[in-house]
Amino acid sequence: MALVFESKPDRPPPRDETGLAVWVRRNLFRDVPNALMTLLGFYIAYVVVAAVLDWAIFNAVWEADTRRECLDAVGRSGACWPGVVEWLPNLVYGLYPKDAVWRINLGFLALVLWLIPLWMPRVKSKVAVGLTAVTLYPFLASYFFLGGDKGIVWSALISLGLSGLVWVWATTISERVTGQSIAELLGKTLAGGDNDVLQRRAVRGAGLVLFLAAYGLVSTWSLAEVRTQFWGGLFLTLVISGIGITFSLPAGILLALGRRSNLPVIAVLSTLFIELFRSVPLITILFMFNTMLPLFMPEGMEVNQLARAIVAVCLFAAAYMAEVIRGGLQAIPKGQYEAAASLGLGYWQTTTQVVLPQALKIMIPTIVGNFIGLFKDTTLVSIIGLFDLMNMARAVGEDTDWLGLFIEPFFVVSLTYFVFCFAMSSYSIRLEEKLSAGRER
Amino acid sequence: MSRVEGARKAIEIVKLNKWFGQFHVLKDIDLTVREREIYVICGPSGSGKSTLIRCINQLEHHQEGDILVDGVLVEKGGKNQETIRRTTGMVFQQFNLFPHLTVLENCTLTPTLGLGMPRAEAEELAMFHLKRVGIEDQALKYPLQLSGGQQQRVAIARSLCTRPKIMLFDEPTSALDPEMIKEVLDVMVELADSGMTMICVTHEMGFARQVADKILFMDQGEIVESGPPGEFFLNPRYDRTEQFLSHIL
Repeated sequence: MALVFESKPDRPPPRDETGLAVWVRRNLFRDVPNALMTLLGFYIAYVVVAAVLDWAIFNAVWEADTRRECLDAVGRSGACWPGVVEWLPNLVYGLYPKDAVWRINLGFLALVLWLIPLWMPRVKSKVAVGLTAVTLYPFLASYFFLGGDKGIVWSALISLGLSGLVWVWATTISERVTGQSIAELLGKTLAGGDNDVLQRRAVRGAGLVLFLAAYGLVSTWSLAEVRTQFWGGLFLTLVISGIGITFSLPAGILLALGRRSNLPVIAVLSTLFIELFRSVPLITILFMFNTMLPLFMPEGMEVNQLARAIVAVCLFAAAYMAEVIRGGLQAIPKGQYEAAASLGLGYWQTTTQVVLPQALKIMIPTIVGNFIGLFKDTTLVSIIGLFDLMNMARAVGEDTDWLGLFIEPFFVVSLTYFVFCFAMSSYSIRLEEKLSAGRER
Repeated sequence: MSRVEGARKAIEIVKLNKWFGQFHVLKDIDLTVREREIYVICGPSGSGKSTLIRCINQLEHHQEGDILVDGVLVEKGGKNQETIRRTTGMVFQQFNLFPHLTVLENCTLTPTLGLGMPRAEAEELAMFHLKRVGIEDQALKYPLQLSGGQQQRVAIARSLCTRPKIMLFDEPTSALDPEMIKEVLDVMVELADSGMTMICVTHEMGFARQVADKILFMDQGEIVESGPPGEFFLNPRYDRTEQFLSHIL
């Protein structure tokens, strides 16, 4: 008779030597060279941090009316913050009229409100929320920022934006409370029963009522026009890079798909566009759009300077994004396409349900890297005379009261850029972790 | 006499020729498979056996000859390939599950998206087939969390969810550990017993002996010989077949 095999019982792994002291000895003071490197590292860090802190805080001047007063008090050993403080409104809002700054704040508040549901658990319509943020929010925001006369079409678009925001929060609250989207909930309460047709009609009716209410509201107030010449500072930087980022991803996806298309005309055109915009520096494209485009425009037709810069940034970013996405597409094994094909899925079904979700996930670090690059690259618009955050910081040192005050505003600007970029980068890492949680062994 | 004498032709292939560039990979293939028949194709690598079944559902496009699937002529250049693919299911050597979707979502994707089935119904169908392949308790896991054998069984269930009339197997057990091969073969035997028309490219000769109506031996793009398992294993007509069998038996 065969023997019965019995495996040995599991045993816990040997206890690791833990504790701070052990870790420090192992990693920082393993042997003499290691200890020396550690000490040297600490010393360098100490010198740098101490110098920056001395300059930025301990020796800094906090109250003064001109740079002269700062220099008389501490010379160059301390920062002169009053100049930056005085210019802070300009650094943030540009030359936007002081009494209208609330419009910018409200516009960005609307964006924050729009995006908060994306972070909330139990919200199912996240994709729809994200899509409306990209497609409807811009109408709302651009009216807040730009103001001016609004015709019927313009009013309708703004109302769409407003209704979008209302819908986002209605469905968020409904999904968190009842687990159903607002459309399902309304359909069931208004139409009752399980009649799909009636429910759909009820939802459509509710949507129409919401839109009409929004339209009524929109037509009762109007905002004075603030021309884009007065836009500037962090506000302008966020507008340009925000539009660039939201445009570049979908446009990049389409271009990348186009480049890999089996239809030769589409493939050649996409490739041409991508290679053309990728092989020219952004500065050159900005110059071209700024100076040459008006020459090709018909007489009397004028596209404003900000719009030209935004278009240039968008096209440039789209070309780069296309190559990133293409990299992701190429990483998808052929078997995935074949499996989708053998199941009878068509091109768009395969692309949107099978290929893109995987390709985008692989490329998250690079895509966000591109976003960060784009955000920083928008400083180049200062070259064509737009007063973005960077250019505004330079303007501080050209103010007669604060002549030569460059380091302090640049220091603040650097910190601002760091905060934004670091936030984007942390978010991407979080997103990656969330998407891969539980899906791999 | 064959057990399916007089049944409708599920697949009919006439004078099929295919080239990869200059390479003549399939030469004058003639093949008729009737409904509920099980065919096993074997042969050395590069003999064109995978290409042959990939031509049937148009993952490869052929240049000459006619293929009829369930009575429908496959048009050259893949013009009606989506219709053809709805009547055939395919299982791959590397499983090719969609790693970003759960097992259940893998199975419901085509019914909901391609066939417009309501989600609840699609999930019911998926659970039915997952149960059939013995894997219903893993439905909410992601493919990479399963073993190879389990993944391949999910792939079979996913394919069955499109309600195919013909199942094509392209070396379904070649990437599996010995202990997992059996669990996949068991599912395939059950499928064969249930009356599914199947063409299997495989070297699992035990499986062939057990369920195949006919075994084809291919070499260098041609069907060298074919016959019912008993005849095929005992009295191969060609020395090439004998030589091949001596390697794998």
